[in-house]
Amino acid sequence: MPDGSFSNPQQRQFNPYSDNGGTILAIAGADFTVIAGDTRQSEGYSIQTRYAPKVFRLTDRAVLAVNGFAADGNMFVKKVKQRLEWYRHAHAKDMPLRAIARLIQTMLYAQRFFPYYVYNILGGIEEDGSGAVYSFDPVGSYEREACRAAGAAQSLVQPFLDNQIYFKNQAAAPNQPHPAHLPLSDVLAIVIDSFTSATERHIEVGDGLEIYVVLAKGRSVQGLEGVRSIQELSTKSDGDRVFVIRRDLKKD
Amino acid sequence: MSIMQMNGGSVIAMVGKDCVAIASDLRLGNQSLGISSKFEKIFPMTDRVYVGLPGLATDVTTLHQQFRYRLNMYTIKEEREIEPETFAHLVSSTLYEKRFGPYFIEPVIAGLQKTPSGDLKPYIAATDLIGCLNFAKDFVVAGTASDKLFGVAEGLWEPDLEPEDLFETIAQTLLNAVDRDAYSGWGAVVYVLTKDKVIKRELKGRMD
Amino acid sequence: MDVSFAITGKGYVIIAADTTAARSIIKMKSDEDKIKVLSPHLLMAYSGEPGDTVQFAEFIERNIRLYHIRNPHPLRPQSAASWIRRSLADSIRSRRPYAVNLLVGGYDPAEHAPHLYWMDYLGTMAEVPFAAHGYGAYFALSLLDRYHDPEANLEEGIATLKKCIDEVAQRLVVAPGKYKVKVVDKDGVREIEL
Repeated sequence: MPDGSFSNPQQRQFNPYSDNGGTILAIAGADFTVIAGDTRQSEGYSIQTRYAPKVFRLTDRAVLAVNGFAADGNMFVKKVKQRLEWYRHAHAKDMPLRAIARLIQTMLYAQRFFPYYVYNILGGIEEDGSGAVYSFDPVGSYEREACRAAGAAQSLVQPFLDNQIYFKNQAAAPNQPHPAHLPLSDVLAIVIDSFTSATERHIEVGDGLEIYVVLAKGRSVQGLEGVRSIQELSTKSDGDRVFVIRRDLKKD
Repeated sequence: MSIMQMNGGSVIAMVGKDCVAIASDLRLGNQSLGISSKFEKIFPMTDRVYVGLPGLATDVTTLHQQFRYRLNMYTIKEEREIEPETFAHLVSSTLYEKRFGPYFIEPVIAGLQKTPSGDLKPYIAATDLIGCLNFAKDFVVAGTASDKLFGVAEGLWEPDLEPEDLFETIAQTLLNAVDRDAYSGWGAVVYVLTKDKVIKRELKGRMD
Repeated sequence: MDVSFAITGKGYVIIAADTTAARSIIKMKSDEDKIKVLSPHLLMAYSGEPGDTVQFAEFIERNIRLYHIRNPHPLRPQSAASWIRRSLADSIRSRRPYAVNLLVGGYDPAEHAPHLYWMDYLGTMAEVPFAAHGYGAYFALSLLDRYHDPEANLEEGIATLKKCIDEVAQRLVVAPGKYKVKVVDKDGVREIEL
């Protein structure tokens, strides 16, 4: 070549991933589950939108929160929803929660060498009526837990949850062991406190908050009475029910 | 391997009603290897000025000695004990002196400041490793678990806590934050400074 | 890589250091003494960059000796350790720092108590009940967490030290063959055979 470009090797690289910030969180109760996420979507110091949902209703008993690279997250949710629809057509019922969890593992691991760059938290009601949270890493390792935070402010929120949900570092009073599950009103308060705290100290968290509440079949709406801006999303009123609560978070 | 995280350790200070608290973990490590579970990072400078020095352990000792020396010189010259705010500026200028070859420490200062009327007002502050002062009204954190400390403290802290409640708040904040940090923990210590006394408590925490 | 251990017990400190002097993969010497006697009740095991180690150890040795000549008493272990630490802390920010890690053990006749200090080349110092440097630390420290007893007599202390040496011999690929062991207590410093 006349310009001598052979003697000067050049390298080009395309990075197919990005980090869009935000935080998600889920807490399981005895007969309900709360799954929440903020709605800010950012890249670096720029806010792309103040309302990009990260939490999605999959069925009347399952809600999925996705955090990390938003493009991958949206695509992943789309594919999970498609698989759940196929399941409905084949079996004439909704897929059970633990089966959705395993499905998500399989779908994530299928992309083991070009992963979806997302952390998933699946929340909902098991077939036995108990509240459940499943958390995943980007390649599909998963675990059922009572609570989990993920995303930009995971390091801020998770130790707070350890303290308030698992009662870590708190000695129980004699003959009064710590409760295994908290009532819904307490859980909602902890979720809101977690997000206002994260909003205060983390630049990638804020704008709006979406709290999904899944109630087990037959459970009363105790804990939801008087809650502002709540909306029911369930398709039937005699099964497990899904609600969403929308709140504002600070926008700075 | 970052210098700031080589030895591990975290410090937090909080304001209460007519009192302040400062607390830290007790770990000294070399990367992932734990060396000591009795390495204190909080030092009394006067009866009502305390300083926490998380960061590179060699500089913890060096700076503590440096501050002790400068404070002695101040006390001799001024014939009085230093005020927390003055001490914070002494810390700041000591660190900025080494602007282009810094001590790898992010100090946290807690104390009770004399007001013109003679009362004692809570004072807390923190600086970065080159001495940029951050004077906060609520709480300050530093060290390898600083992000965790921010999260828990933001959730637990409230204004005008009485000494015993402040102790509980700072202890819970520290313990739960360091339990999520591999480089901090291995025991903890809390100081609560009130008008008439200083309470030191060593906390039992997870040892893993 | 050198291996050194130290443990405190009831009224004594035992320090052990391997005796290998290596250059790359070659053993140059197998009877090197890497524990200096700094004063009648003070020991210092040193390890690190060959060349730096002996140079720095001798510098410390002579300055501690000088203090003893100038004053009617030697430096107490706490003070000696503090001065040694300062030398390392100053060195790390100098043009050519010493890369030397130390275990300083001494018996303080004034308060009838043993003291042991772990120090690294940065000037990090911690007073500890037991300590180790080198790859041996990864085996010895966990073992000592289990077996160390601050109230153990000398025989029991030596038995615990042997456990450390045996564990390193069994599990460390590049385990040294021989150790030199020195004890400091109220009677001063002496070398012991295992």
